[in-house]
Amino acid sequence: MSGLSAADVAELMLATAESGGSAAAVVIVGSSKDGVTGRRVAVTRAGANREGLHGGLGSPALDAAGVDLMRQALDATRSRDGLREVRLDGERFELYLEVRRPVQELIVVGAGHIAQPMAHVGSLLGFKVTVLDDRPDFATRERFPDADRLVRADFSDPFADIPLHERSHILLVTRGHKYDYDCLIRALRTDPPPAYIGMIGSRRRVRATFVQLIDEGFSMDLIERIHAPVGLDIGAETPEEIAVAVAAELVMIQRGGTGLPLKGVERIAERFFSQTSEDEK
Amino acid sequence: MTREDDRTLTEALAEARDAGRRCVLATIVETKGSTPRKVGARMLVDPTRGLVGTVGGGCGEAEVIESAHRVLASGIPERVRVDLTDDLLSWSPAVCGGIMDVFVEPVSPTAATEDRK
Repeated sequence: MSGLSAADVAELMLATAESGGSAAAVVIVGSSKDGVTGRRVAVTRAGANREGLHGGLGSPALDAAGVDLMRQALDATRSRDGLREVRLDGERFELYLEVRRPVQELIVVGAGHIAQPMAHVGSLLGFKVTVLDDRPDFATRERFPDADRLVRADFSDPFADIPLHERSHILLVTRGHKYDYDCLIRALRTDPPPAYIGMIGSRRRVRATFVQLIDEGFSMDLIERIHAPVGLDIGAETPEEIAVAVAAELVMIQRGGTGLPLKGVERIAERFFSQTSEDEK
Repeated sequence: MTREDDRTLTEALAEARDAGRRCVLATIVETKGSTPRKVGARMLVDPTRGLVGTVGGGCGEAEVIESAHRVLASGIPERVRVDLTDDLLSWSPAVCGGIMDVFVEPVSPTAATEDRK
């Protein structure tokens, strides 16, 4: 029997997630049966219905149980990596299940001064980062050492060479509001809709943009999807601070936080240590 | 585990495999309470390269490295239960108030574990 090594599985899962697919693997980490620990089986899903099975746990019945667990995890929007127990023919198997979700993408439109820290923070957060500009001197490797992709594109058709999908997070920070607007319209017309569309701009600019969108017949539902002014309210002023505010918003959307200071949410001092507190108990 | 950690560890695993080196992989498979690293964090113990990745550092990681050396010699996987609950107020970097369960397995360049057993 040809085993699938830890290296093989790691490579398979990483490559699948990087190319927009998802993958799950189980490894036997404990068993009442001797000599089976360390065996692996993996499921990859490259496209809608393209499922691949790799490796094996040593018996068809055990493989079937492992595949069931992996499919359940992959079918759910969220799953918890960790231990699962399977009992089969009087034997007990402890499996460690892990899942890789498709890598999320951040597309920074405009390669100016906000784009630089944004690409950096986006990369730190695990996004596959694309930086796009119409000026070849701006979207350069020197300026964006940790971007995954640097693209030269015309702002009238910015996403021609970038396939957009439900894992795309688009941040519009071009050098001019007209370009931001052109790109915004393209992003809004994308189907399926991207996960996030953020646009830089003051309250006044954003209002002007929305007026124009309404004039052009865009529905309020569509306009509501635009994150503008962009980012969480942390008083950001510098490009670096703005990048942090946007990054915080991206994390909040993915993880489902409130965006409020935890101090105020938890109120530990007030709740547990203040004698005048009303909800002491 | 971040995308960057995943890439670094995967590259290290593949490099060891391609060079024909036997290594040991440690994976946190369960945690209870507060631990420095969460489920899925991995560390590769490569006799040539040293350590790649981390399962949390400090005393807990030392226990895992000890186990890794046994596993490298024996070829038999182990489970290490690392208890970090000793003293929550000692402020030691390794004390986080949690327990973690680590799977420590030999990684052979050619075949899966069962073939050696």
